[in-house]
Amino acid sequence: MGTIGKRVYEALFLVDTAIAAADWDGTIKLIETVLSRGDAEILSIRKWDERKLAYDIDGKGRGTYILAYFRMETQKVTVVERAIRLSEKIMRVMILRTDRMTQADMDKPTPIVLAEMQPAGTEGVPAGIAPSEPAVPAAPSPN
Amino acid sequence: MAFKKKPVQRKKRFTTGIREQSQCRFCREKIDYIDYKDIPTLQKLLTNRGKIFSRKRSGNCASCQRKVKFAIKRARFMGLLPYSL
Repeated sequence: MGTIGKRVYEALFLVDTAIAAADWDGTIKLIETVLSRGDAEILSIRKWDERKLAYDIDGKGRGTYILAYFRMETQKVTVVERAIRLSEKIMRVMILRTDRMTQADMDKPTPIVLAEMQPAGTEGVPAGIAPSEPAVPAAPSPN
Repeated sequence: MAFKKKPVQRKKRFTTGIREQSQCRFCREKIDYIDYKDIPTLQKLLTNRGKIFSRKRSGNCASCQRKVKFAIKRARFMGLLPYSL
């Protein structure tokens, strides 16, 4: 069996806001520890957003999302996923392959950064609430 | 007796002034990958009840509709979008 080698992955972790706010460094360290199980070479790790969840997960209504990019061997993904499943602090995770991702894409401003950049009172519509005007124009009637 | 050929009168098409879109919104902007984290874009393709708009309604091509479907399902799993409201 030939080795595929290392690939770049993107992972979005969902953790409880209370835990993340109380011990941010500990949360990041936990994620780094989990990724180190798969000998991952971490490219970037940062807070993506902190928002109200669309539905309750583990009895929690709010969550903090942490976005990580790392390079890892393909066979180690299952090891990392198992370690995440055993962790009680990480509520959800989505690991995707992102081979075409450039450094510029990785450094794109996250929603939380964009919200901080915007002046107060001009924030966008929060997620989960439909915009006031219809986004898709009404289709013409078949008659 | 020779018949004189009448000049062909083309039917005037009803034009509203708005040109019909020939491509879907993602193909027009040459978007290759639809990100599941791009919630404002995905939100526009959902009904108020959180259901995915049909291709007829959204105007997406088959390929892009499939990409949208996967992106929405990933976002739902992560709690970014609702399964139903």
